Amino acid sequence: MKKTFTINLGNRVFSIDEDAYERLQEYLERIEGYFSDQKEREDIINDIEIRISELFSERLSAGKQVITILDVEEIITVMGDPGVIAGDKEDKSRSYSHHERGSSQRRLFRDPENRIIGGVCGGLGAYLNIDPLIIRILVAILSLTFGVGLLIYLILWIVVPEARTTAQKLEMRGDSVNASNIGKFVRDEFESVKKSFRGNKRK
Amino acid sequence: MDFDNVKAQMRKGVLEFCILSILSKGDAYATDILNKLKESELIVVEGTLYPLLTRQKNAGLLSYRWEESTQGPPRKYYALTERGKEVLKELETTWRELIDAVESVIDKNP
Repeated sequence: MKKTFTINLGNRVFSIDEDAYERLQEYLERIEGYFSDQKEREDIINDIEIRISELFSERLSAGKQVITILDVEEIITVMGDPGVIAGDKEDKSRSYSHHERGSSQRRLFRDPENRIIGGVCGGLGAYLNIDPLIIRILVAILSLTFGVGLLIYLILWIVVPEARTTAQKLEMRGDSVNASNIGKFVRDEFESVKKSFRGNKRK
Repeated sequence: MDFDNVKAQMRKGVLEFCILSILSKGDAYATDILNKLKESELIVVEGTLYPLLTRQKNAGLLSYRWEESTQGPPRKYYALTERGKEVLKELETTWRELIDAVESVIDKNP
């Protein structure tokens, strides 16, 4: 079971999965970020939303009534990277193979699924590709000496954003954000939820 | 030197010219324009079209109106303004001159 939202996009109504909604919103916000003039920004976003709503409609049928994260990811590929849309970057997908573009850099996030306090050490572990336990021990030792570790931890907690969307979680682990990876990630998540659910029932 | 930027600017300039040219043959809504540009492989990702349309509109080259559609909500139809027609003529001249100039340079420097 998944939570869905009802949205009005380009004057059409859609049911959209929660994760797909978040991804779409994040994408539109990133496009907005490239345009400083308010009137211009509204016009452009409006036109883009109309186009996305057309593309969504083409994907729906009697047998498919909900927009999923896969739909959103594919439409983002069709519409293009916000930097390319704004025209300050050349789109490389034409001349370079996909994996080169997709081999995304890791980004530092706080890991909500691997947390003891704020998920800072879990996120750092994913970023540096080392066991978070080692970082936790280091922070603990540094905290004993003049509280330095504690201070660093608090600053990172405030400054580093939490990985909320699937795309962010993939970026945190250094996996490229593409449709197949997201599909795999969502399936893995689903399996782990199913397992914990069964585990709970046995108790 | 950033050649990616040079390429992006080149393509953008040509795209603006082509949008005006498409609209000179009749009013169209964004998706019509998009399909024509895609047919001729002038556009890679769809999103690049919209900022160009908005900027041309704000520069007074295009106007738009809403028209009812049988397949969904009303559509935004773009049309060339008088100023747009003038600019298109100038661009056509510039385009021909550029092609001639570039080709003569390329021919002389094999």
